[in-house]
Amino acid sequence: MSGDLDLEQRYRRVLRVLPVYYRAQWEEDMVGAFLDGWLTGDPDEDSVTMEYDRPTWPEVASVIGLAARLYLGGLGTPRRYFAWGQAVRRAVLVMALVHAVVGLDALVLLDWNRRVISWLPAAPASLGAATPNGVVPATVWYLVDFAWVMLFVALALGYYRAARVIGVLAIVPNLIYLLQGQFTGLLPSPPLGPWAFWILINLAPVLAMAAFHRDAPPTARWPWLLALPAGYLLVEVPYLAVVATGNAAWLPDNSGFFCLLVSLACLAHAPRALSRTRRAAESGVWSLTLMLVAAVAGAYRIASLSDYRHDPHLIKVSLVELLILLVTVALVTPDAARTQAAAPAPPYPHLG
Amino acid sequence: MVAKNMTGPAFFVLTALADGPRHGYGIVGEVADLSQGRVKLKIGSLYGVLDRLAAEGLIEPDHEEAHDGRLRRYYRLTRDGRSALAEEAELRAATARVVRTRLGLAGEAAG
Repeated sequence: MSGDLDLEQRYRRVLRVLPVYYRAQWEEDMVGAFLDGWLTGDPDEDSVTMEYDRPTWPEVASVIGLAARLYLGGLGTPRRYFAWGQAVRRAVLVMALVHAVVGLDALVLLDWNRRVISWLPAAPASLGAATPNGVVPATVWYLVDFAWVMLFVALALGYYRAARVIGVLAIVPNLIYLLQGQFTGLLPSPPLGPWAFWILINLAPVLAMAAFHRDAPPTARWPWLLALPAGYLLVEVPYLAVVATGNAAWLPDNSGFFCLLVSLACLAHAPRALSRTRRAAESGVWSLTLMLVAAVAGAYRIASLSDYRHDPHLIKVSLVELLILLVTVALVTPDAARTQAAAPAPPYPHLG
Repeated sequence: MVAKNMTGPAFFVLTALADGPRHGYGIVGEVADLSQGRVKLKIGSLYGVLDRLAAEGLIEPDHEEAHDGRLRRYYRLTRDGRSALAEEAELRAATARVVRTRLGLAGEAAG
């Protein structure tokens, strides 16, 4: 017998990707339905089928799709999975917000440098709009900036399918740039930082948009939409002011800046996370969200350490940024752990 | 009670159960027949739909039957499921009437 398993056991092995609670309710039924699709009632033919046939790839893909929807739970799923689903959805929104603020910044600088608004004074030379060298034209990079802004707005407004399409288009130019750099020696060696940026900051949030499925509760549109101008004014404008006044040397690099922003968010959330009187569910989902974003920021910081392998000072600075991130995220970790039992799972919505 | 934004697969699954209880694979076959082969539900997708419809109270288990040494569970529409399906069917029929009118086909079916 192939692998000592028969067809029924092979299906059961595939179904192990589903959450335990779901299998307890549906596994026998699903195995029966799978086998009904194969068995003919002829004992000889069925015996050969049971011994040699295997679950088809489309069947396996449909089970994996179901598992993703269940683990990234929506309305009506158990509390633990609902909390994870909400945290992943918010983490995606946070990552999209960061991209959108950076994209907005690039477009504003482009307009400023080209004197689109004639009465504005000329932009300082240190704020020149720059795009990476390579096969991808500058126009495409500006379209990518615009795409991230559109993606964020689409997510906030609930146009999830459009956001997914925009996301796939937005990450392709950077991949082309990396592949070109990889083959032409344009990238630093080893090119861990640039690839980590693409995988963690570009690809991961686009893949995680799978959490915005049919059962996901609607996004709170106004708070998120307002977060875009607020993020630009509170983070990007002060950043530009530091650069424009010739103090850019004081600023951390991108991954360090990301770590510090997440650390600040953890500190801001810590009083709620540590309070015993707080409403557990909402606070806990935010703590879980911050943990996820901190994991991305930390992984990116570690991967980009290789960029500074010849500069011990910058390695030390990077490690301090990492330490600050670890300490601040530890403040919200207990709350995140508690939330898996505390987050409510609202029922399915009904009309009438 | 009407399920919010009933999807195509959910509509076909409820329709497959409209004339009596069916087990999982029976629903797959009936949906393929009803849709003239256009909707081929994978088992993973089917049980995603069944789980959601059961949670919404639109379907429920009916009985179990032994088959080849395994128990097949049959599902049936609940009263809410029946009225949700009727409302969705009416909505779709109304939409179809508008389409036929706009295409100038309104009299052809009767003729």
